Amino acid sequence: MKTRVFLGALITLLGVSQFHAFAAQKGGTVFEEANTSYRTGNYEKAAGLYERLTHEGAPVAAVYYDLGNAYVRLGKLSQAILNYEKALLIDPRNADIRYNLNYARGLIEYRVEDSRNWYLKATAAVLRFWTRQEIHLLTQVLVFIFLLGGILRLLSGRDPFWTAWRKCMFALVLIAFLVEFGKHVQDNLFTDAIVMQKECEARYGPSEHDQVAFRMGEGIKVFVVDRREDWSRVVLTNGESGWVKNEDIAEVKL
Amino acid sequence: MNATLNKRTAQVGEEIRLNIRVTGQSSNLQAPRLPALDGFDTYYTGRASHITFINGVSSSNVEFSYTLIPQKPGKFTLPPVEVQAGQQVFKTEESTIEITGGQGQTAGSATPSPVRQMPQVPQPSAQQPIPQEPAAVVSPQGDDNIFVRPWVDRTSVYQNEQILLTYSLYTRYDTRYEGFEKEPETSGFWIEEFPMERDIERETVRVNGKRYVKADVKKLALFPTAPGNYTIQPGSLKVSIREEAQGSSAFDEFFSDSFFTGGAFFARRQNRLLNPSPIQLVVKPFPVQGKPESFQGAVGSFRISANLDKATVKQSEPVTLKVVIEGEGNIETINRPKVPALTGFKTYDADTNSQLFKTGNVIGGQKSFEIVFIPKEEGDAFIPPLEFSYFDPKKEKYETLRTPNFPIKVEHSDQAFQMPEELTGKALFQKQVKLETKDIRYIQERFPETPVLAGLFGRLGQWVNLLLLGVLALLWLKDRRERLFSKDEALRRRKLARFVASTNLKNLKRLAHSQKPEDTGVFFDELEKAMTHYIADKWNLSAHGVTRQDLEATLAEHFGTEDAHLKDVLGLYGLCDESRFGKGAIPQASKKMGIKIFQDTVNRIERMRR
Repeated sequence: MKTRVFLGALITLLGVSQFHAFAAQKGGTVFEEANTSYRTGNYEKAAGLYERLTHEGAPVAAVYYDLGNAYVRLGKLSQAILNYEKALLIDPRNADIRYNLNYARGLIEYRVEDSRNWYLKATAAVLRFWTRQEIHLLTQVLVFIFLLGGILRLLSGRDPFWTAWRKCMFALVLIAFLVEFGKHVQDNLFTDAIVMQKECEARYGPSEHDQVAFRMGEGIKVFVVDRREDWSRVVLTNGESGWVKNEDIAEVKL
Repeated sequence: MNATLNKRTAQVGEEIRLNIRVTGQSSNLQAPRLPALDGFDTYYTGRASHITFINGVSSSNVEFSYTLIPQKPGKFTLPPVEVQAGQQVFKTEESTIEITGGQGQTAGSATPSPVRQMPQVPQPSAQQPIPQEPAAVVSPQGDDNIFVRPWVDRTSVYQNEQILLTYSLYTRYDTRYEGFEKEPETSGFWIEEFPMERDIERETVRVNGKRYVKADVKKLALFPTAPGNYTIQPGSLKVSIREEAQGSSAFDEFFSDSFFTGGAFFARRQNRLLNPSPIQLVVKPFPVQGKPESFQGAVGSFRISANLDKATVKQSEPVTLKVVIEGEGNIETINRPKVPALTGFKTYDADTNSQLFKTGNVIGGQKSFEIVFIPKEEGDAFIPPLEFSYFDPKKEKYETLRTPNFPIKVEHSDQAFQMPEELTGKALFQKQVKLETKDIRYIQERFPETPVLAGLFGRLGQWVNLLLLGVLALLWLKDRRERLFSKDEALRRRKLARFVASTNLKNLKRLAHSQKPEDTGVFFDELEKAMTHYIADKWNLSAHGVTRQDLEATLAEHFGTEDAHLKDVLGLYGLCDESRFGKGAIPQASKKMGIKIFQDTVNRIERMRR
């Protein structure tokens, strides 16, 4: 019975990795072709191929990063910034991605002051340091240690259950859940988006009749906090907020 | 840029010095205006510029000084001061000052010393704070009772030659000099300011038939850095004067302590801005004729000296040559004499030091350069003379100085060349790695082979953890129940009675199926035991000592004496007795009946108890 369960799990795992290997192989050839195009200066073609790869298989940071590079070369800065941001979602600690993202940001026309509180900035930076999956895994590992320790303690029948160590562990688990919740809020309640139009008007309300509050240019990062059919309410890091047309922005989502 | 205070805590009336230092390439800066400071009297007390040359790269800094005189105790925050340099605006950081109450001093009773006072002129109002600082007003045109005359000691100079710019204040009022409202515009010049004594020298002069008090309030040494025609905008000075104008006949009263003008009570002061007219200057280029190779722009008169720290060295060991140039002139901007290309040595710049002296009206000083030589080959060698040339504007010709020739003996050493320890880590000798252009970094060309497993393991872990959570919960419940049971035996029996009964029931059913005649006796025996055990557990009767009467009484108490089920139970007990003592022939159906009665009893009692 035990052997059967073990074998089943092994086969499943192997199957999963085989599938990934297959996808990687298939992606690999297209990827090679795209790289060659990039190397020879055919950025248009390279961008097209990378773009195709982003729709196939599991998301890969390198593809988004390379796509961003191709768009920088083509002068499409908003596209480049969008793809760098997507790459950072998968590989948030990659220095190259950050470097190129900053480079692209330096080229755009508009600049937004970051007037958020230091603790908001710090929280955002900490949450951006890990991916959602990593935070989830960390939480699960902590929970696992806590639960296993608890079970062993109960089985051994020793007293008391709430030792200092276990209390610390429990606090860690709570913190991990808090961080995961924070990440959830960051990802879903304040979704990042990039302004894609050369000129984008943010209005006081979700219609053309509302007054223009401010103007932005392509590549500016905004946070989407509310959505209507054709309009989204966005907040900027300088605290301003307004309604923009959905077609003017693109959300940073894989 | 940064701002420094010479002290963080002070008493009311005590002077605090605020220096704002701006470091950078540009020395042509407007004096920053201090933001309004509640609880302080502030005075601008001048500027000082420094230029340092390291390996030919200049960095300059300008220091603006202010004096703050606290007027009341408390904790104050000095807000950021802004300085405009070209298009950019720089800000200093905030700093805090703590002011404690003075020992019996009233605010402002201390004389604000940065305000340079005209000596001997009675200053009654200086003894008390100016009640309301009137806004600075531009001096009415044509008031020849007070004016400033900036003058230079010569109007035609060579490049890098010192010019002395003096501001002379002529006044017929009781006057206090309050500093510069607008700094002179001196771009293109290296500036050194002469420190002014606290008491400015004063003399009486006659101009256009009127007697004035004349005082030199500011002296600057200017060194033009490039030839051309210059116009120096002298800026504007702020003075405060006693309000009533004094006729020429009143000049003598100027010194007298008359009742009305001298009484502090009536003294009213008025601020005036004095705007002197610009100064024209011609800066001549260096004469081409006779210009030596080694000339690098030094102007003045200089002496040179040099010494070598040792005459015998081992191969690859450093020997330091120290060259000192001293004299009068643009000492700060002097460059190191060029070292000729040497085949047998590696050379490094080690240290540059300069000291300035301001004696009389002349800027002078000394500058020393340390050059490290590391011999590569053994044998006799020499450090060649270094040439230093300067232009003497008085003689209008170039002079060339040489350091002596230093012979050195190099001994053999097997040690390979190494950067000498005292030189390593000194940024001067190592070239700085600098970014020359900006571009994006290259694409990633490797497709990651392994899929990201974090997500997979995260989800797997989630299920494992749910399972573990269940196990933990069960264990915890069990643990809790055991703790309760260990305290209360009756509870334990009551709670476990049903479980024991159902285990016994299984056993009974197995026995009931058996066709062997001897098993019938065993069956009824077991049935009786199970029934008794269950009832005893439920009502905490002794399991072994319980009698048939006790059971009957207990059941009658709970079921009622006339209950049909009670009769069934009693019948069952009778049947059990019969099987034990009677001779065997009990039908198979009775067993089923017995089991049913037992089951019903358990069910009924369980329901009842709930």
